[in-house]
Amino acid sequence: MAEYGGWTGKVLRVDLSTGAITTEDTIAKYKDYLGGAGLGYKVLWDEVPKGVGAFDPENRIIYGVGPLTGTQAPTSGRCSITTLWPMAPAINGTELPGTGHMGGHWGAELKFAGYDALIIQGKAANPVWIQIIDSDVQIKDASSIWGQGILSSTLSINQMMGSEAHVCCIGQAGENQVRLAKVCCDLSHSGGGAGGVMGSKNLKAIGVLGTGRVNISADKDSWHELVVEWLTLMGANSGGVVPANPEPWAEYYGGTRWTATEGLTYGAANPPVLVGDCPPDNLNKLGLRTHKGVLDFSAKDPATGKKIGELITVRMDGCHSCPVRCHIDTYLPRLAADVPGASPYAAETCAGWAGGSMMPTSKDPWIAAEQKIYGTQLADDYGIWCNYSQFQADFKYAYNNGIIKDNLSEAEYNSIPWDLYEASDPAWQSDLYRRIAYKIGEFGEALGEGSYRLQKRWNFPDSYYLTEKKNWKMGHPLHHSVEAAGQAGVVIQWLWHRDASPHTHNSYIGCGLPNELKLEIMNEVTGMPDSLFPAHNYQPVTAGFVRFAVLSMIYMEMHNSVTMCDYNGVAGAWVSPLRDKKYRGDPDIEAKILSAVTGDTVTREEYEKIGMRILTLFRALTTKYMNDKDQRNNHDTCPPWLFDWPGYGDTPAFTPGTDRMDRADIEKTKDLFYQQMGWDVTTGVPTRATLEDLNLGFVADELAKLGLLP
Amino acid sequence: MSEKLAIDNGTEFPSMDWIRSIAEKSATRRQFLKVIGAAGLVALAANVVGCGPKELVVINALDNPKLNVDDALKMIIGLPNRCVGCRRCEMACTEYNEGFSQPSLARINVRRNFLFGPEGARAGFSGQGIFGNFVVNQETCRQCPHPTPCMMACPYEAIETVPPVNARVVNLDKCKGCRTCVDACPWGMITFNEVDKKATKCFLCNNDPQCVKQCPSGALQYVTWKDMSKDIPARWVIPAAIPQPTDVSCEDYGCHPNFETD
Repeated sequence: MAEYGGWTGKVLRVDLSTGAITTEDTIAKYKDYLGGAGLGYKVLWDEVPKGVGAFDPENRIIYGVGPLTGTQAPTSGRCSITTLWPMAPAINGTELPGTGHMGGHWGAELKFAGYDALIIQGKAANPVWIQIIDSDVQIKDASSIWGQGILSSTLSINQMMGSEAHVCCIGQAGENQVRLAKVCCDLSHSGGGAGGVMGSKNLKAIGVLGTGRVNISADKDSWHELVVEWLTLMGANSGGVVPANPEPWAEYYGGTRWTATEGLTYGAANPPVLVGDCPPDNLNKLGLRTHKGVLDFSAKDPATGKKIGELITVRMDGCHSCPVRCHIDTYLPRLAADVPGASPYAAETCAGWAGGSMMPTSKDPWIAAEQKIYGTQLADDYGIWCNYSQFQADFKYAYNNGIIKDNLSEAEYNSIPWDLYEASDPAWQSDLYRRIAYKIGEFGEALGEGSYRLQKRWNFPDSYYLTEKKNWKMGHPLHHSVEAAGQAGVVIQWLWHRDASPHTHNSYIGCGLPNELKLEIMNEVTGMPDSLFPAHNYQPVTAGFVRFAVLSMIYMEMHNSVTMCDYNGVAGAWVSPLRDKKYRGDPDIEAKILSAVTGDTVTREEYEKIGMRILTLFRALTTKYMNDKDQRNNHDTCPPWLFDWPGYGDTPAFTPGTDRMDRADIEKTKDLFYQQMGWDVTTGVPTRATLEDLNLGFVADELAKLGLLP
Repeated sequence: MSEKLAIDNGTEFPSMDWIRSIAEKSATRRQFLKVIGAAGLVALAANVVGCGPKELVVINALDNPKLNVDDALKMIIGLPNRCVGCRRCEMACTEYNEGFSQPSLARINVRRNFLFGPEGARAGFSGQGIFGNFVVNQETCRQCPHPTPCMMACPYEAIETVPPVNARVVNLDKCKGCRTCVDACPWGMITFNEVDKKATKCFLCNNDPQCVKQCPSGALQYVTWKDMSKDIPARWVIPAAIPQPTDVSCEDYGCHPNFETD
């Protein structure tokens, strides 16, 4: 594809049933969807009919990178893994689709090997792994690594392919088709709950070594200028554009992950690295702004008074091409001494550290850190996902309410070392994760099914859905909803069948600027009044606030398709740390960067329209798989706690300080949402006019044939 | 650095310092060969004479006219404890010079040590990098002093010392893509453009290194040159003899007087 930059022009397809390895033309088949998640949805639409289950050979698993992957476009190292999502409810025999968002360096390596995506279909007769060295693609026998954890499997493949290859693989949990199983690359970068699909295909791992290039259409000087412009507009992890602490150069501060400050160090680096303060004009300290160790391990060491996170951080880590580092590399030698088999080293991000939260937290802050880190090590080796810590929340609820005892035989219950659990001993987790990975007993099997099936299987009471404010629907947790963004946060939970994991809206809300300024800037972005309510101070819904939600979803799905990181979200596009720009970003910058890379010039409106196309295709996929025309009432539901959580007391909705929502107002929110998306307001299904406008006429035809078109 | 450099299989090879000292003292190529051969590399040296595509020639430091070249004035160094492993430096290297992204062509190397450190996968979980202690060792060109291995090895004199900071630079007009320099660099810092069939190496972006500018954690620094070739262990032991293109070797040994070199 000489005429476009960005895309390599080839999609690789491996049929494990037949052993056929083929390539197809990216531009001809998938350019409208860019890559990543968008490309994945198109493959599912074309190739996976309803009635196919997640673990059936006919299911596809699509590892999609995008036109930006492998370039200096900031945060472009992501890979979207799209498939029928094992943890989602199976409706008419089909688990609803989902995408895992994997970081690390594997995606970029796939791009350098010459591919915009890898599609896997079928099922191998025996365990295999796939070796990709540029155009040399081979299906190889995996009998020597099947049964091993992610750490030793990855090492084995590196020993075969060389120390520069990047490997994504599954652990024992994925092999055993545990629904909660994850895919991991570079040891610690997980791609959500897609591990069981690889296991069902007898596919252990994919090793990639790429020596090729990604062309950039723009001339190198203007490309240089654009990249530097964007870097200048960037903030810290999760959208912060002001520092967390008062700094002499800062007008505003507080509430962000721009935690770098005078005296702060990577305490476990050798020699320790003084992070210091990181003012916005110093791009050579952009990657030091976010010291996330002190946030994820915020307890203080009694001896030194320093945060444990500062003492155990070797460095901040992260994905290919990302100047904002959110992944923490830790060194905790006492863990290796206290727990047999534990490593002193671990790397994770945010909710990935949630492992230890299912146990009573030790009063000793060092043991509490060991609980977290050891849980992460086990999860990253067996390959078990945290479901954005809904897994831990459900476990704790079940334990505290006697549900585990009720559902296990006495012998099985007593075989679990509860004394270690109660004593907050980190080692307890090795028993837990082993049972899940190997589906041992009712305990292991049920927990590995994921929250949706677990809640049904163990008969969680109705009150669970009223008192537990994390669970949303379909066994997935809210992922930045009403607690941050009121009705806009509610809208964002509706579309997907896993935690929505968007950060565009949450990053904007958490950017650290004063509420008045955020409102002013968002009104400019949406072109509407009242586009933002401050957290916990919600008013009856407005069209502007819904537009904020819709734009956030558009940008999230674009990030997952071009690919970019949504975690670092809006910083750049909407807000920036630049005081002399009055903290404005450049809303055109993402369209500009895509145009510069591909040479296919798009305006901001056209860029957002591609996002609408991808979101609308996903909604059509859901409608088709559910075979249900009434998405409004049967899919876009809200948990009862949203309105009736006992903790809200008698406080009515729209009182300052409460997050309580109002049912009639939420129905109005749906009306506005569907209107803005061009979907039918009665059913929540895209109309023919909208589909045709988005170049999705073939989708309208098929929905009409199935009797699902409004 | 000791006189002998131990490598993993226990064999001892002469150090770069030692090879250089002999090269500087030797008057002719044949004398150089003889001394090198005497150091226990007779088996390799025996392959040197003769012709054909597979023949071997010792680094031709002695016939090369570029003796006593100026030292470089600047260099790029990496600070491993500050590297956050984003590899933006590798992309900056080719994007701002060639206009495309290709880490395998980048003249700064983070990818090689990223997962395991310099020992590679045999280090398992006890080395550096993601598998080990998380330290990422960036590798940069040392801009070696005379006798600069890549420069000395190039049979076409295509690697030149170029102002303003005397970087050692591949002259693409002279480079014929024989890859002799790729084999000659003890640190493996010469990369090869497989499309254009030209070698390339760090030229300090003409005194404006983009990798240093793009590093988001200040882990690369552009500093006054010092001779680090003596302090940093070679990545591999360069063979005493390096295969050279047929035209050069035949010309040197005169076995085919009428051989057309072009």
